[in-house]
Amino acid sequence: MITEPFEYHSPTTLEEAWQAMAETGADGKIVAGGHSLIPIMKLRLASPKYLIDIGRIEELRNIREEDGRIEIGALATHYQIEASDLLKRLCPLLPETASEIGDVQVRNKGTIGGSLAHADPAADWPAAILALEAEIEARSARGSRSIKAADYFLDLMTTALQPDEILTSIRVRAMPPHTGQAYLKLHHPASGYAMVGVAACVTLTESGAVAKAAVGLTGAGAKAVRAVAVEEVLSGKSPTNHKLDEAAAVAAQGLELNSDLYASAEYRGHLARVYTRRALAKAVERARGASSLQPVAVQG
Amino acid sequence: MKIEGAYSIAAPRETVWQYLMSPESLAHALLGCEKLEPAPDGSFQAVLKIGIGAVKGTYQGRIELADVVPPVSYRMKVEGKGAGGFVSGEGTLSLSADNQGGTKIQYSGEAQVGGLIASVGQRLVQATARQVVNQFFQAFSKQVLSPSAK
Amino acid sequence: MAIAILGERIKRKEDPRLIQGRSHYVDDFKLDGMLHMAFARSIYAHARIKSVDVTAAEKMPGVMAVLTGADLKGKLGLVPCAAGMEGLKVPDHPCLAIDEVRYAGEPVAAVIATDRYLARDAAEKIEVDYEPLPVVVNPEKAIEPGSPLVHQKLGDNLAFVAKLEGGDWKAIEADTSLKVVKQRLVNQRLAPASMETRGVIASYSPGEDMLTVWSSTQIPHILKTQLAIMTGLDEARCRVIAPEVGGAFGSKLNVYGEEGVACFASRMLGKPVKWIEGRRENMLATIHGRDQINNVEIYVQPDGKVMGLKCWIIADLGAYHQLLTPAIPTLTALMILGCYNIPNVFVETKGVFTNKMATDAYRGAGRPEATYIIERIMDIAAREMNMDPAEFRMKNFPQPKEFPLALPTGVTYDTANYQKALKKLTKISGYAKLRREQEKLRKKGKYLGLGLSTYVEICAMGPSSRMPAGGWEFGSVRIDPTGKVTVLSGTSPHGQGEETTFAQIVAEGFGIPYDDVTVFHGDTGMVPLGIGTFGSRTTAVGGTAIHNAVEKLKKKMARIAAPKLEVKPGELIFESGKIQTKDGAKSVAFGDIVAEAIFAKQLPPGIEPGLAEQFVFEPPNYTFPFGAHLAVVEIDAETGEVKLRNYYAVDDCGRVLNPMLVDGQIHGGLAQGIGQALWEDHVYDENGQLLTGTLMDYAMPKAHQFPWFETSGMETRTPVNPLGVKGVGEAGTIGSTPAVVNAVVDALSQHGVRHVDMPLKPEKIWRILNQPMSA
Repeated sequence: MITEPFEYHSPTTLEEAWQAMAETGADGKIVAGGHSLIPIMKLRLASPKYLIDIGRIEELRNIREEDGRIEIGALATHYQIEASDLLKRLCPLLPETASEIGDVQVRNKGTIGGSLAHADPAADWPAAILALEAEIEARSARGSRSIKAADYFLDLMTTALQPDEILTSIRVRAMPPHTGQAYLKLHHPASGYAMVGVAACVTLTESGAVAKAAVGLTGAGAKAVRAVAVEEVLSGKSPTNHKLDEAAAVAAQGLELNSDLYASAEYRGHLARVYTRRALAKAVERARGASSLQPVAVQG
Repeated sequence: MKIEGAYSIAAPRETVWQYLMSPESLAHALLGCEKLEPAPDGSFQAVLKIGIGAVKGTYQGRIELADVVPPVSYRMKVEGKGAGGFVSGEGTLSLSADNQGGTKIQYSGEAQVGGLIASVGQRLVQATARQVVNQFFQAFSKQVLSPSAK
Repeated sequence: MAIAILGERIKRKEDPRLIQGRSHYVDDFKLDGMLHMAFARSIYAHARIKSVDVTAAEKMPGVMAVLTGADLKGKLGLVPCAAGMEGLKVPDHPCLAIDEVRYAGEPVAAVIATDRYLARDAAEKIEVDYEPLPVVVNPEKAIEPGSPLVHQKLGDNLAFVAKLEGGDWKAIEADTSLKVVKQRLVNQRLAPASMETRGVIASYSPGEDMLTVWSSTQIPHILKTQLAIMTGLDEARCRVIAPEVGGAFGSKLNVYGEEGVACFASRMLGKPVKWIEGRRENMLATIHGRDQINNVEIYVQPDGKVMGLKCWIIADLGAYHQLLTPAIPTLTALMILGCYNIPNVFVETKGVFTNKMATDAYRGAGRPEATYIIERIMDIAAREMNMDPAEFRMKNFPQPKEFPLALPTGVTYDTANYQKALKKLTKISGYAKLRREQEKLRKKGKYLGLGLSTYVEICAMGPSSRMPAGGWEFGSVRIDPTGKVTVLSGTSPHGQGEETTFAQIVAEGFGIPYDDVTVFHGDTGMVPLGIGTFGSRTTAVGGTAIHNAVEKLKKKMARIAAPKLEVKPGELIFESGKIQTKDGAKSVAFGDIVAEAIFAKQLPPGIEPGLAEQFVFEPPNYTFPFGAHLAVVEIDAETGEVKLRNYYAVDDCGRVLNPMLVDGQIHGGLAQGIGQALWEDHVYDENGQLLTGTLMDYAMPKAHQFPWFETSGMETRTPVNPLGVKGVGEAGTIGSTPAVVNAVVDALSQHGVRHVDMPLKPEKIWRILNQPMSA
């Protein structure tokens, strides 16, 4: 459990970081909280010759809001997000997701940007990011660009980030009225990763129908996905138990499901359906609670 | 670990076969392939740099073809060794005409991983294999279909 | 008034230094000129070594030496096995593989370099050319004809067959009124995974011709003897120190090849050599636990009385014998009757070689397997007899007055009251009420399960006649001129807290403050004799040695005090810093007699000066702690997830010297036992590759996965030692595994389920619930 030798850089500005990246090229690797990269380096599955630690770039650490637009710096730790009153109020899905990551020690060190850049197929953030239709800010010496969550996750641990780009922040919108959000997962008993994790955001109309549903699914396949088929079933419909069942039934549709020692592909597909159903039900319940509307009598 | 699947390429079977038998073309399609050279015993020596996200490794190996039935099928035996581990596998590739005038490549085999990769990577090993295969076929078909190839 | 100190909830003497990180584990020692060692290990489960090319490694600056099996051949002894069983096949087990590797992770070469990182980098540069050989990982297949052989020389993979038989089987088999209940059970392989991995520093001084070894071990004295044999040094020239040891669970009750290589390298280079095991090595190449397949059947009378038990055990030993590998499954046979007076027993144990890491002692060591076998089959039988499992157990318990109870397995249980433990458990858990709740929930389609386990374990190991290399323990007590007491123990506690318990024993004995007692252990240069800490023996055997040494000193001090007080020595007691008559009328300060004894101005004739006594305690028997556990589980019918809702435990470990330490042992033990039932599984694939090589995949239990444990004690003292203590190190682990499995099966029984093998992963349960109901 000892890494290969590497050279350590700790830039204090983005410019310095870009310069280090340009100089080290494919031999360099950015590290933030180190909770994805360091373990695989210790196993010698990754052996970058240069480690560029962006942890001292203070501007990447903030969580702020302006006119309903929330920006979370890439270096915000899971715990920082879990404990953020601002997020609890405006986008509770993020603190709820953070609270399900690893353990306290991991949450104290690991960062949202690091997790998203690593894009482990069973990480928790991707589900929430997809369901929130977040935008991922990537900056390089060439300039800045914003990547839609739906376009961000390309394949197993592969993202839309270019080699010269640094993920600098994540932007989400404050939760609209009559909206409920929920993140539920089945923890792997050893790693704590999501066997399956489902993030659901449901906005209801005045009459209690689904104005918008967004569902992000992680852990099931090689990358996190948006469960579009589920959303389509619900759109414009009253979220009755029956309707939620119907929507959840298509959660794993078209996915190439992972299988490992702990859960077969078939079981993962089943979990995707059950957890989608549960996350949706919880989000709907919260949406109803959040609105001043009387709950609609629903029978399955 | 079982690896199987199928991939369709909109090109005639003979063309696909030609590409499948060409070390240059295979080397080109295998992402990270730094070397693929015929050895005196009829096999190929390969050096492959595999990178999935942050996980990277260099593998040296040997690819051997057997039971070659042009342009229908062959058996392929692969042995690779890298930092702290090995990969070995055997499988069959077979070509058939699909119903759109193209060629369907079907592959099916058993792969074994050992050492480091086996003992620390079981969670991702299958997804990784799938990604390597998919990337190969994507790059391969691009090559077959590229204008310069004609 | 005397201050009561035995039986009190006293905080551990060890904790301040441990909590503040001020203590020293092996890796904390840095010696002048110290070199670091790393190993290249086999990536194959079975292969012929065609060549080992160390040139690239040797050329790296800072690399002092690279060793292979060939370098050590004939110069360093083999890894020892102490299990002297009749007919046992013992394969050669070199410290570094020679010609052939037989499990993935087997050390092939060692690099010694100036720093740890360099050693690791160089080890990666060693090129081993392997020719893969056929692999066998399944122990049942390994004993079939035609199986690949782990050791070609031995002719087959069967290391031993042991039979244990008692009673009158002819009568049982002829009795057609008996119902035969059978089940096949798999007790999966586990990783001990102590928090501190293994580690060793070997430091040889050529001038003094002295080898000093710091090792994270449970058995410094045995290790010293074995290292002397392996290196060929005189034993007097070897010293082993077990500094702070961060847990072991039996995995460091061993002598490992890496320790031998470190000693060899230090002698060769004349410098200290350190090796600290990484976690991945720890998962691969530190002994594993359990791994048995059990086919059990019991013979039940129509009234529910169990008349006989037969069991065929297949124990997967792995590729080589470590120190006690083959002996562990024989403990299963010994304890297979549990706390039931079953008059007829037959057990056949087959120890089998496979291409895996060796199994050996892991918390409970053979007894958790025994308890699992008997407690599962009793539960299955109760259901088949349409009896409540509590009632069925009650029916088969021996009466308290029957103890000491000789069983057909050849062991004699000391004391017990199983009825009382089970009654107490059903009372504190509200068992009857839980059954009613279960009934109600069932009607709503919900799955609640209650799982009982009543266990007995064999502890305080043990009488020397039944141990491989002595079962006694050494203790010495010395009173210094200042009146402070120094205690030496031959045991080697590594987290259990006996520095505290032993100090309590001594303080109570002398009637002096607990803080006046200092306990040392784990250094063969300081403690002349010792066996070690394992088998829940430390307090019962080692504590008794100390207790008896205290008694010897008290006799001597009373003889010195008596003439001064003009009483007979027998009239004196030790209390509150004084030596006094029972009524307190005449007394002399403890310190005065200490001074008298040491300065020896006016000692009565025939009394040697000084106050130092030692005692080697030979236990006349094992002890047999027992208890009753109840697990309450809920099952999520949609996903198969098991939630452990409540856990109740009544444990009787004899006399309790410090309830806080007992609670700690029970809590940790429960976590490990429940971990086996629900999560842990050390998995090899069919090619002998370990798939659970990190803690990302191997599911160690975590605190947040457990409910509050409702623990409760009972005290049935043992006559086996004067303290009346039985031992508690393994009780929680032994009792809890079957309780949880019984609970899950109980929950699923409405679905016609009779048994589910561990670990009870959600997918397994989901599949069961999604199958058509069995009859």
